Amino acid sequence: MTTTVETSAHLRSGGVRALYAGNPGAVVQRGLVAARSSSWVVVLSGFFEPVFYLASFGIGLGVLIGDVQTSTGVEVPYAAFIAPALLAVSAMNGAIYDSTWNVFFKMNYGKLYEGMLATSLGPLDVALGEIVYALLRGLVYASGFLVIMQVWGLNLSWTAILALPAVLLIAFGFASLGMAVTSYMKVFQQMDLINFVLLPMFLFSATFYPITVYPEWVQAIVQALPLWHGVELVRGLTTGALYPGMLWHVLYYVVMIGVGLIFTTKRLRALFLG
Amino acid sequence: MSTATDASLDALRAEAMEWGRKPRANGTFYVAEHIVRAMRAYGWTIVVGALGQPILYLLGLALGLAALITVPITDASGMSVSYVTFVAPALLMTAAIQVATEEFSYPVVDGFKWRRFFFGFSASPISPGQITTGVLLGASARVLVAVAGYYLFIWLFGLVFQPAPLVTPETGWIAILVGVLGGWAFGAPLMAYAASIEEDKGQFALVQRFIFMPMFLFSGTFYPLDSLPIWLAWIGWISPLWHATELGRTFLYGRPTEPFAIVVHIAYLVLLSVVGYVLARRHFARRLAK
Repeated sequence: MTTTVETSAHLRSGGVRALYAGNPGAVVQRGLVAARSSSWVVVLSGFFEPVFYLASFGIGLGVLIGDVQTSTGVEVPYAAFIAPALLAVSAMNGAIYDSTWNVFFKMNYGKLYEGMLATSLGPLDVALGEIVYALLRGLVYASGFLVIMQVWGLNLSWTAILALPAVLLIAFGFASLGMAVTSYMKVFQQMDLINFVLLPMFLFSATFYPITVYPEWVQAIVQALPLWHGVELVRGLTTGALYPGMLWHVLYYVVMIGVGLIFTTKRLRALFLG
Repeated sequence: MSTATDASLDALRAEAMEWGRKPRANGTFYVAEHIVRAMRAYGWTIVVGALGQPILYLLGLALGLAALITVPITDASGMSVSYVTFVAPALLMTAAIQVATEEFSYPVVDGFKWRRFFFGFSASPISPGQITTGVLLGASARVLVAVAGYYLFIWLFGLVFQPAPLVTPETGWIAILVGVLGGWAFGAPLMAYAASIEEDKGQFALVQRFIFMPMFLFSGTFYPLDSLPIWLAWIGWISPLWHATELGRTFLYGRPTEPFAIVVHIAYLVLLSVVGYVLARRHFARRLAK
């Protein structure tokens, strides 16, 4: 009798235990089961967007531009320059879509998280579970895109295979932060703000041309934003131009993931368990 | 006694007819007015989008790529222009079609399925045909605002960033009209499709990804269409965006174009608009009769 009381008291007595039941897998599983009932064509279509961009810009602009110098001074064909950037962008878009729109509807209309938090699951389980589910989808897209890059001869080094974990890191960073931001949204028109942040990042982060075309102060802003670090990291890996400074890009995302997770967990607790 | 009742019934009928006459005559405009007023709910999105998009795309793509593409672009007529000049008309037409895509998709389903206000219009003396035209006009008002804003912006942009103006003022304004026509050419068929949707299964996400995106990327937007191999170039030929962009290049920076080509581009856009409109009218009439 006493032991039971002690155990349950131990299980629920503040700290990490109150936030985390060690079962984010249940949330992932729920996502996979729910995905079965949604339209697979719509899910699959997300894969084609970067492919269309690559085909259009790689073929058409490649003729006009020729070779481009990467930030490490290597000359690569234009298609090989933009392909890794598009890979990083699709990781960002996929993660943001899953962690903002999907989470927003589950939070405000489906009331899904209230149900989950009424079970033994804690806010960190919910946050991690949702993020892992988003990563699975991102992994499928990224693998497909890497195969296409291989077929078109745009992977210039064996290190391109390391782009897969890199893409997961990028997606993890955006997903954990995206979910935290979503928890502040009250009406869905506010979601347009997200696009308003993503579009300039997409256009300016050395995606379609090196950032050296900008004046220094613009470069500094771009370098402070997360997508640029992702683009540089993936580009270094697929073109095989590795350098020690790439560890800074990794560190940037590790910090972003940490901050995002703490932030999201706190928000979920404040919203639902307060 | 009975005659008195009849008389008052006649009088009532006459009175009802009198009250119905105005909406009967002006129904199209009442509907258009409703659509425009409803836009106030997301007015700031419209303003931010209308101002932000041209600024971002012109600075991001046109100026950034222009740093790599220093040689002038030779367009379809053989005229050489700077890269920004080449891209600006295409971005303007893209904006027109993008706004049309927003207005002629979910809002139409909304009127039939979610908030069902089209059935409300239909319960008044307003006819299904008037509802169709009214929706088209209301949405066109937003397209017009977006295109006119874009036009003014690239005009100023040309004055500030370009040695030569991006816009030829004498004929440039015609591009605004072409933009609206381009919006119809894509929007009216989309409206017909939207009116036929009974169950939302993500169809518009597919339209966005498999029709709008390829059209945007393969319509000679960022480089002359003849840079593409024939197995991709056909996407440009059938896309309203390419036809609108070619017209835009003619009117905006004064590219020399055969009169015959102008007629063909306009005829194609008009054809798409008319076919879309007729189909939309039919779908509206059928669905409102249910």
